[in-house]
Amino acid sequence: MATILVFDPALCCSTGVCGVDIDQVLVNFSADVDWAKQNGADIIRFNLSQDPIAFAANAKVKDALHKLGEDALPLILVDGEIVLTGHYPDRLQLSSWTGIDIPQEQPKINAGGCCSGNTCE
Amino acid sequence: MLVDVALVTLVNNPEAKGMTFLADPPRFLFYTGKGGVGKTSIACASAVKLADEGKKVLLVSTDPASNVAQVFGIKIGNHITTVESVPNLSALEIDPQQAAQAYRDRIVGPVRGVLPDAVVAGIEEQLSGACTTEIAAFDQFTALLTDSAITSGFDHILFDTAPTGHTIRLLSLPGAWNTFLHEGKGDASCLGPLSGLEKQRDQYKDAVDALANPTRTRLILVTRAQTSTLAEVARTHDELADIGFSDQHLIINGVFPDEEGPKDLLASAIRERERSAIDNMPSALRSIPTDRVLLKSQNLVGLDALRHLLTDEKGEVYLSRIDTNLRIPTLGSLVDDIVKDGHGLVMVMGKGGVGKTTIAGAIAVELALKGFSVHLTTSDPAAHLAETISGELEHLTVSRIDPSIETARYRQHVLETKGAQLDSAGRALLEEDLRSPCTEEIAVFQAFSKVIREAGNKFVVMDTAPTGHTLLLLDATGAYHREVTRQIGDSQVHLLTPMMQLQDPKQTKVLLVTLAETTPVLEAANLQKDLRRAGIEPWAWVINQSITVADTHSRLLLQRAHNEFIEINKVLETHSTRCALVPLCRNEPVGIERLRQLVRR
Repeated sequence: MATILVFDPALCCSTGVCGVDIDQVLVNFSADVDWAKQNGADIIRFNLSQDPIAFAANAKVKDALHKLGEDALPLILVDGEIVLTGHYPDRLQLSSWTGIDIPQEQPKINAGGCCSGNTCE
Repeated sequence: MLVDVALVTLVNNPEAKGMTFLADPPRFLFYTGKGGVGKTSIACASAVKLADEGKKVLLVSTDPASNVAQVFGIKIGNHITTVESVPNLSALEIDPQQAAQAYRDRIVGPVRGVLPDAVVAGIEEQLSGACTTEIAAFDQFTALLTDSAITSGFDHILFDTAPTGHTIRLLSLPGAWNTFLHEGKGDASCLGPLSGLEKQRDQYKDAVDALANPTRTRLILVTRAQTSTLAEVARTHDELADIGFSDQHLIINGVFPDEEGPKDLLASAIRERERSAIDNMPSALRSIPTDRVLLKSQNLVGLDALRHLLTDEKGEVYLSRIDTNLRIPTLGSLVDDIVKDGHGLVMVMGKGGVGKTTIAGAIAVELALKGFSVHLTTSDPAAHLAETISGELEHLTVSRIDPSIETARYRQHVLETKGAQLDSAGRALLEEDLRSPCTEEIAVFQAFSKVIREAGNKFVVMDTAPTGHTLLLLDATGAYHREVTRQIGDSQVHLLTPMMQLQDPKQTKVLLVTLAETTPVLEAANLQKDLRRAGIEPWAWVINQSITVADTHSRLLLQRAHNEFIEINKVLETHSTRCALVPLCRNEPVGIERLRQLVRR
């Protein structure tokens, strides 16, 4: 199965609850990652404020940060290739990278905030 | 005017048969209470007393305003130092700010110059919250609380501060450690500073166990005889009792002596107010052993003063001539400057208990009396002041935000969204994250943000404000919008983020309120430093409840006034170019008339 590396922006915590507002996108993404891991996916998250060395050590991530600044984050690498910058994937995208099926009866999590997935105008 | 003051003799609490909080003391003693109540002085006096009794004592100070080194006339610092003037006593100073900085350097140092500067600055801000400092300090405590060669020679170890319930609970949650250690760092918001220390998990557990064991640890709550301070200490009592701190004692410090009362109107008013605060103190505090320590006219410097603090002996105090001729403006003169802009946001900031709500109320009343439209928004939990002026004045509207309601709503929202997906360990961790001190600040500020918008066409006066740290985190979106504006081309788009509004002194004036005492001034200076990091320059300082401009002949109060000068000068010389002085009043400043007296002095 593909290895997915998630480079998060400088978050106080990966749930975002101690941030200034509850970012629904972050809440959903954390839940989606949980779901994918439970189904055997290989996903590792790095938080810029706690593990910046991981960002500096990866040439592609470092490069993107120099070009785009923090707007490059979150950045997703699938098997070493950048597949997404600047926003989080939804469960459908995780499913296509990992090959894990989303069961029909399981309700898809709604993207409550702006710009999660491709729902935002 | 020069006032000549003679010698005065004070008798320490004549009924006291020694202090109960030092009877059969366990190995660890923690002193806790809000800034300025006298924790460090009492911890020092306790340490000297135990050492005088022949016990080997280690005194650990984390107080940034600590005068421990000065008291003992030696240089201490971050290693155990023998105090030559007191046999059996050693001391150690821990600087939590420095510990937090060391942690930031460890994380950020290796990527400085490798990642872009703006990115590095963002990481540093994330690591500048109150939790980082708190956990970094606890990390330093750990070695002292667990059996180790360093502390084996000491009978008693005294700490002039205690960890908060939030920190202890977080460290006690197995869920916190599991996510933190095994699933990639970072799910527990406040545990960041412990990263890289996973091998010491058992040591943290031992430290937490030691705290909750009454045969090993006693907690001493230090308070003043004031309603709000007593309420705060009652909350601390409940919170720490919940997590096992069962051996607790209460010290009411700085109690106004009875014999000063009849001599002076102000003195007797203070004495009455204190008596009523003690009579009506929260019931949770009534069941725990309590000691009272009388107000001293002098600052506690020098061994003699310390030895007298907790005994029944008489202390002799020499009072010198004092110059009461202060040329510091009144609050009214600040209001005169505020009206010049015709509208705007006035944010009154300061630590709890310095009188933010009173100052905000006085400013709002004065602006309304001058004919300006004013909206006063307060988060004062007692709502006393708001009730007394609401509906009383033309042009003045008063609204109230209840911090506990706002915070509860915020927590509820998070638990319903995020919590729904979590197992019980994850949910416990999330609930603890939501008890972090940032949560209330954020929840209240969200409620206030709605009111801020009105400041474009009237005056909005608020009795609270977010810290610079929160503002910088808030500005993450602002920074993004500015970048968008820049890319579009600035000419067509006129964009104003909340942060930009707060940084512009024409639109927002931040007033820092303090008392003329060492710790409150230091705390206000730290708030100022924090705001400056967010690009906000406090517009003025207000020194509240000052005796120097109060009407009194009490010798005790006059000597206190003398001590205030040092702090007032510190504010004028190093902290602020614009400053107002507000007197300590005989009566509680509620209602239009009494608030006006504060403004005009």
